[in-house]
Amino acid sequence: MSMDAHGQSLRVLPQDRSDQPLKTFCGHCGRTPAPDADPASRVCGKCGLGLLLQAPADAAPDPSDPFLVVDGALNICALSRHAEKLLDVSETEAVNRHVAEFLVPADAESAAGESLATLLAWAARGESPSAQVVIRPSNTFGVRYWARIGPCGPPSAALLVLADAR
Amino acid sequence: MRYLKTSEAAALLNVSPNTLRAWERRFGYPKPQRSPGKHRLYTHGEIAALKDALQEGLSISSAVSRAREGLSADSDTLIGALSSFDHVRADSAMEAALALRSLERSVEEILLPSLADLEEKFGPDSARWAFSARWASDWLKRAQRLTPPPVRHVSLLIGDASRDELDSDAPAIRALELLCARAGARLLCLSVRGVSGLNDALAIVEPDAVVLAGAHARDDEVARWAYAVRSAAGALPVCLYRREVLRPLRSRTTGAAHLSSAPSEAQSQILELVEAQGVSMRESAPTRLVPRETRAG
Repeated sequence: MSMDAHGQSLRVLPQDRSDQPLKTFCGHCGRTPAPDADPASRVCGKCGLGLLLQAPADAAPDPSDPFLVVDGALNICALSRHAEKLLDVSETEAVNRHVAEFLVPADAESAAGESLATLLAWAARGESPSAQVVIRPSNTFGVRYWARIGPCGPPSAALLVLADAR
Repeated sequence: MRYLKTSEAAALLNVSPNTLRAWERRFGYPKPQRSPGKHRLYTHGEIAALKDALQEGLSISSAVSRAREGLSADSDTLIGALSSFDHVRADSAMEAALALRSLERSVEEILLPSLADLEEKFGPDSARWAFSARWASDWLKRAQRLTPPPVRHVSLLIGDASRDELDSDAPAIRALELLCARAGARLLCLSVRGVSGLNDALAIVEPDAVVLAGAHARDDEVARWAYAVRSAAGALPVCLYRREVLRPLRSRTTGAAHLSSAPSEAQSQILELVEAQGVSMRESAPTRLVPRETRAG
């Protein structure tokens, strides 16, 4: 963050990344749909337990990545099966609960200037700050994850992909 | 009420039948009923609500949650109507519930939980509870009058051990009556306080099982009634519905079956018990008055 000529602070604004190629993935298993999948169906034909979502290719998860989908009010809307194992909670229990009940910023290690909540809110509006933050489970110390945040949908939401930060 | 088979429901949602069954296991929704042949039957309203929610959802869980919220709106409407002593709105709330669910589920998921909520909120001695219990009893009786004649050749005697219409068990007992009648059983519901002339009633009804329902009547009252039934009709399977303590009777039977407090499950348990006893093959109503010995001969 820096100061402009008038002494006002400058803030990093989210970039519009609508030119990014989109990748389709299942919101539960993270896999991409088969090429011959019914385009009219939003349900994953591979696991049957998730809806097909789209995200910019560099933000979209790999099938082995744990990830969460969060809406503009920062409530959890989807939890991948790897995230269910990692956070020890089922998707049905986690849905409609605030993301801070499960994950909080590990501020000391945070590389981004904005808070986790702000980044998620930007992403949920369809704007990607292209940031990675370090977070930890809300009830656990000593465990940290890199979180890659990006937009996804439809409908518009934030995607939080976790990776081990050790 | 429009019902869909598994394949029809799956086609409407654009998923495979296996996926639909997997959702039932994982999310408990959509929750099908069973046809007489034990096949799944989905209500069209429930599938339509889920289809809309899937279009706007980010996961199956959130879509199921949203579809459930839409369906629970009927319960809020019913509670609001009964709280404001408005029987017309209460009737309309049940009509709305019936548009999305079967009668069995409307009773079990909307009517009975709403009554429990009202009783807890206002107390069993409140005017609101008195109004609600009276309305529920009327509604359930009206629904029972619309039930087709018995087809199952199963006859049940229900011993009503509730206090009166305002007893908190009374709506559940009326609901059990309704669901048993809809399952095709022939019913006679009598208060356990009326012992005199019970022989005449039993000679006509020839029950296959006895259900003792309600917790209000004292054990000795119930035991006297049960003894009269046993003397007149012989040893019959006995089921307890919303009644925990019944020491005198328990000692005289080989084991009274405790039924689930949910009327639909209780109804299934009763019919399974009767069928297991092998007494479900009796003749239909016109020949019921013929003594058993004559028919056997």
